Amino acid sequence: MKCPLQTEETPVVLLDYAAGRLEGARRLKLERHLAGCARCEAFRAEQAEVWDLLDAWEPPAVSTGFNRVLWRRIDEAAAAPWHRKLAEALRFGAWKPAFPIAAAAMVIVAGFVFDHRTESRPGSDPSGATATQISTPNSGIEADQVEKTLDDIQLLRQFDAVSSIRSKPI
Amino acid sequence: MWPGVNTIGGASAGPDVDAQLMLRVRDGDEDSFRVLLDKHRNPLVHFLYRMVQVQPVAEELAQEVFLRIYRTRASYEPTAKFTTWMFRIATHLALNWLRDEKHARAEQRLDGPRGDEMPAWEVPDRKPSVEQRMVHQARMQEIREAIARLPDKQRAAVLMHKYEEMEYSQIASVLECSESAVKSLLFRAYETLRAGLAHMVAGGKR
Ligand SMILES: [Zn+2]
Repeated sequence: MKCPLQTEETPVVLLDYAAGRLEGARRLKLERHLAGCARCEAFRAEQAEVWDLLDAWEPPAVSTGFNRVLWRRIDEAAAAPWHRKLAEALRFGAWKPAFPIAAAAMVIVAGFVFDHRTESRPGSDPSGATATQISTPNSGIEADQVEKTLDDIQLLRQFDAVSSIRSKPI
Repeated sequence: MWPGVNTIGGASAGPDVDAQLMLRVRDGDEDSFRVLLDKHRNPLVHFLYRMVQVQPVAEELAQEVFLRIYRTRASYEPTAKFTTWMFRIATHLALNWLRDEKHARAEQRLDGPRGDEMPAWEVPDRKPSVEQRMVHQARMQEIREAIARLPDKQRAAVLMHKYEEMEYSQIASVLECSESAVKSLLFRAYETLRAGLAHMVAGGKR
């Protein structure tokens, strides 16, 4: 075979070999090359060492109460008032084709709420800089939530782009 | 818009069991969500820990991932491998966190306590000496720092490749780029790691 380090821009075949993910004929072919190519053999040896070092990095144990906390949050979300549930539904795409409309609606509703509350408070900052401060827990739709919603909508829309990315020739 | 089950994300042939479970979750079966949670909790938290290197943050982000999965259950469609979807959400959250915290917490992340000072190999019946522990901790610290120095996307790619044993195609789906871009990311990342950890290889355990 041709020397991967000399002929390929990203010779991942050497990474695959060090990771133990190269099998069959490809593996044998590379092994024959490694036996006669000092440069590739040195690369393989260094990569194998790094692979072993990374193996030694153990993450800490997960907290024993992880599931309990999650279920509590799920229950809290289920018991949330209707407007929060609506916000969540919009955030997480119960009606996928309506993402852009939902996003626009959220912004309009939020804008109306903020505007209304600003008007009802004499002396409030007319620049709108206090919008997040006057949003109360009762309003249910807060500036950061709107921002998060848009963020999630963007994320979910990105999921839809996967198929086109994957179908591109490499 | 999306191809069928297991056509995205480097999924292997055969049914995606997790996707089947998720379909049951969609239909109201909470037990199936428990199965998914128990199966993926530890790998997910570990991935996030290696990304952000702060255990409480990793757990908080993992909570958010599972919450999002649960909240979106009603609209779930098995158009991608379940783990591709899950790691996409996780990576998105982790990259956002790193972006927001990079400057404010860089020092703290590298110098502060991490919650994993206890080596995994320390077992009650074979306790290493204080010196061995210190050497091990120093080595782990160097590995963490080498990983932390990688650009965020390279780091995510390496962690998915090394610890989650994902195929290039699945990493590409998670990171929303081409397979060739993933190969390039990985090649550069491992190159950096080989250079950064070379001294440990030469004078360390061997
Ligand atoms: Zn060669």
